[in-house]
Amino acid sequence: MATDNQTREKVPENLNKQLAVAVRSIQWSYAIFWSISSKQPGVLKWGDGYYNGDIKTRKTVQAEELNADQLGLQRSEQLRELYVSLSAGETNPQARRPTAALSPEDLTDAEWYYLVCMSFVFNVGQGLPGRTLAKNQTVWLCNAHRADTKVFSRSLLAKSASIQTVVCFPHLGGVVELGATELVLEDKKLIQNIKTSFLEVPYPIASKIPDQIPDNARNNNGLIYHQINMPETSLNQLVEYPEVNNCSPNNGSNDFGTKQLNEELNMVEDIDGEGCQMQSWQFMDDEISNCVNNSTNSSDCTSQTCDNPEDIVPVSNGKKETHNEIHEAQKTNQQKLNSSDSRGDDIHYQSVLSNLLKSSQQLILGPYFSNSNKESSFISWRKDRLSSSQIPRTGTPQRLLKKVLIEVARMHENCRLESGKCDGKRESLSKPEIDEIDRNHVLSERKRREKINERFLILGSLVPSGGKVDKISVLDRTIERLRELEKRVEELESHRDVDMLDSRTRSKSYDAIERTSDNYGTNKNEISKKSSKNKRKAGDMEEQRTNNGCSLLRDSSNDDITVSVVDDVVLIEMRCLWRENVLLEVMEAISKLHLDSQSVRSSNNDGILSLTIKSQFKGSKTASTGSITQALRKVIRRR
Amino acid sequence: MENSTQESNLRSEICVTYDSPYPIYAMAVSNAAAASASTHIRRIAVGSFIEEFNNRVDILSFDHDALSLKPTPSLSFDHPYPPTKLMFHPTPATSAANILASSGDYLRLWDLRDSSIEPISVFNNSKTSEFCAPLTSFDWNEVEPRRIGTSSIDTTCTIWDIEKGVVETQLIAHDKEVYDIAWGEAGVFASVSADGSVRIFDLRDKEHSTIIYESPQPDTPLLRLAWNKQDLRYMATILMDSNKIVILDIRSPTMPVAELERHQASVNAIAWAPQSSRHICSAGDDGQALLWELPTVAGPNGIDPISMYAAGAEINQLQWSEVQSDWISIAFANKLQLLKV
Repeated sequence: MATDNQTREKVPENLNKQLAVAVRSIQWSYAIFWSISSKQPGVLKWGDGYYNGDIKTRKTVQAEELNADQLGLQRSEQLRELYVSLSAGETNPQARRPTAALSPEDLTDAEWYYLVCMSFVFNVGQGLPGRTLAKNQTVWLCNAHRADTKVFSRSLLAKSASIQTVVCFPHLGGVVELGATELVLEDKKLIQNIKTSFLEVPYPIASKIPDQIPDNARNNNGLIYHQINMPETSLNQLVEYPEVNNCSPNNGSNDFGTKQLNEELNMVEDIDGEGCQMQSWQFMDDEISNCVNNSTNSSDCTSQTCDNPEDIVPVSNGKKETHNEIHEAQKTNQQKLNSSDSRGDDIHYQSVLSNLLKSSQQLILGPYFSNSNKESSFISWRKDRLSSSQIPRTGTPQRLLKKVLIEVARMHENCRLESGKCDGKRESLSKPEIDEIDRNHVLSERKRREKINERFLILGSLVPSGGKVDKISVLDRTIERLRELEKRVEELESHRDVDMLDSRTRSKSYDAIERTSDNYGTNKNEISKKSSKNKRKAGDMEEQRTNNGCSLLRDSSNDDITVSVVDDVVLIEMRCLWRENVLLEVMEAISKLHLDSQSVRSSNNDGILSLTIKSQFKGSKTASTGSITQALRKVIRRR
Repeated sequence: MENSTQESNLRSEICVTYDSPYPIYAMAVSNAAAASASTHIRRIAVGSFIEEFNNRVDILSFDHDALSLKPTPSLSFDHPYPPTKLMFHPTPATSAANILASSGDYLRLWDLRDSSIEPISVFNNSKTSEFCAPLTSFDWNEVEPRRIGTSSIDTTCTIWDIEKGVVETQLIAHDKEVYDIAWGEAGVFASVSADGSVRIFDLRDKEHSTIIYESPQPDTPLLRLAWNKQDLRYMATILMDSNKIVILDIRSPTMPVAELERHQASVNAIAWAPQSSRHICSAGDDGQALLWELPTVAGPNGIDPISMYAAGAEINQLQWSEVQSDWISIAFANKLQLLKV
């Protein structure tokens, strides 16, 4: 149809604004204009729309401030843009999705509903808009969110978006749909006002329809006249311009509306025949059920739907009876129609949603996103299916997974162990197992060993051995030395006590000792001179002896120091009067001379101490025999 | 009552099966179309699980049109001990460069040509000639395909630059064996371990890692990890001997976003949907593969899966490839099955 072509693509720009004004004036959530597709006659698809509902995130693309109108228009535009980009993304997944100002997560549920509506297509008589167009009547759906999908195919969507009221009425070859998130009872005036507002704004498109309208219809009240006049004047033209039959109830007058409807329905019936009747039955059933839900009394229920049964079925009783009758009559018809209709709706619904879902993120579908699609291996999950699948679970859970993670590694390591044993590379396997704790242990152990070694060195220097410096020898020498020293201390202490007792008798015995020791002492070094020395000494001795007993003693004791050096060993032999600490003093003197005494032999005979000391030079300093002798004499002479 | 095994009911359009002569575990779908791409042929690599030294990796050809899954004998090769994971090059430039990586004792690369498979390299990180800790898993970085991260029982993760053939870095990732590793971005990866933690590492800051989850019972090992490539905020992991799948949001550490608890036995494998950020598939010892959709708001009773598939035996492996997002591959017993989503 010519008008169809005109009205489809060329949805007037003003229509956008008209819709905007309309929906804003009544403060509903959205307005959609469904236009007839040029490709498929009678098929309704998205024409234009305006979204007036809640917005989650506001994306200001422009810097300037927009007023409310412009914002709203922009928002609707953005939503459309998003839909286009999403659907483009779906059809051509390889291509990058064209960027839209909005992204799915920015949308509220209502916006989402609006967006998804853009995908809907309604065949002749299908869906709310389809039926509206076919009937050419306003359809007012209350509780859209709870409606049966057969009635309102988008009811699930509406539920998520909380759209409770949907109204469709034919307009300009298409259908205008208005939706609200509140439950609004049918109000013909509302529709009337909207139409008024539409007509107030002139639109440039010259469709043939307005031409047909008599002039008197153009004024504000023309709507009414229009309504009145149309059925009469355009009866003949119904075939061509069914959309013109804007026979929506426009005033409160039931009678009038009834009459009008009567005529219209008759017309419709005539034209469409049985098919239409089916639809009308169904249509009525939908609306009836809705009205019943609303529990309005007959006076309030000015919806034409409620009026219809009264007209069609000539029962003048209350609503209920008519409803019942209609119900019964419709059952068989309905089922045929509904099954095909709903099936189509279902498929369409699901395919749309699944398409959009793939490229979007936000949509709460819940159990409705079930794969009733037979094309998948997966069946929809239900709790009651659980008990059936019982695979006897023997052995460990996650058996294979655990094996992969643990056993396979062990297999590799065992393999390596076996090959590693031959090479003796076992240590490498233990590398990763050294702990933090073990490392600490090692360090402390090392410290302990170092300390021990240090002390051994000190001990070694205190106990000279002149040979082995290993720990065992050092310990042996230390033991030896300690015992010696202990013994000596004992001896010295005991001697001291003895001497205290024998102090008187000592002088007598000295002569005897002297004599013998003289001989002994002089015999030592110079063998050649021995005889002469001996003689001399003996002579001296004798002289001295005769002269002076005591002084002889002293001198002889002085002369009894003999120091001889053979190799590195210094031999000191001496005799002296014993007195307290003389031994110690002698030892001290020797060590001062840098001599290491290696063995000491001492004997105390009648108060005369005879010492034989074997010593070694300590270090590089060597004292001469003369100096040694002198030092020792000093010691002895000291009292 | 529903028949638990759906196999008999399924037509071949929606389920394609391959029977292997031995049990299988590792599985990978090639991202490159086969060379003779007149028809839709996709190569699938399957690794055997035989508890011996001699194991095998077979290459199957999946014909999308004919819906057949056949092995290509010329493209089979031996593998020492079972491969713990197989993976193809994520973004091959040409079909000729169809490289397969396998992990076991070492990370190995294989060149998959039309009629033969040639080993390319073996990556061995040990300083001594022999020793290198066995690998439990690895992941090929999609954004930076020269990077492969491996996880090992010696608590470390090694990042290899496979083009240069050197180690990029080796990190001591955990206190115990690392069981799985997954890349997020070019330089960010996460790993799970026997110590029960999920940690995220950033190669730009190797000193620090972030723990984003620890198993509620301490030291319950976490066996597998999957990072949602469509929405990098989300990861999924499974615990040892648990039927739960834990969904994590990396922005809120330690608190899981969801715990999916509808399997009747322990879960063995998980895979995020490659085309949707909200869907995940899981398979377990109960022989079921469940498809989940994560809602924005969870109901009070937890989240239910949207659909399921029941195989006849414990499902050990699950792969959901990007290149064929309408097919999910599962492995159970000796069979490999491709299920249409």
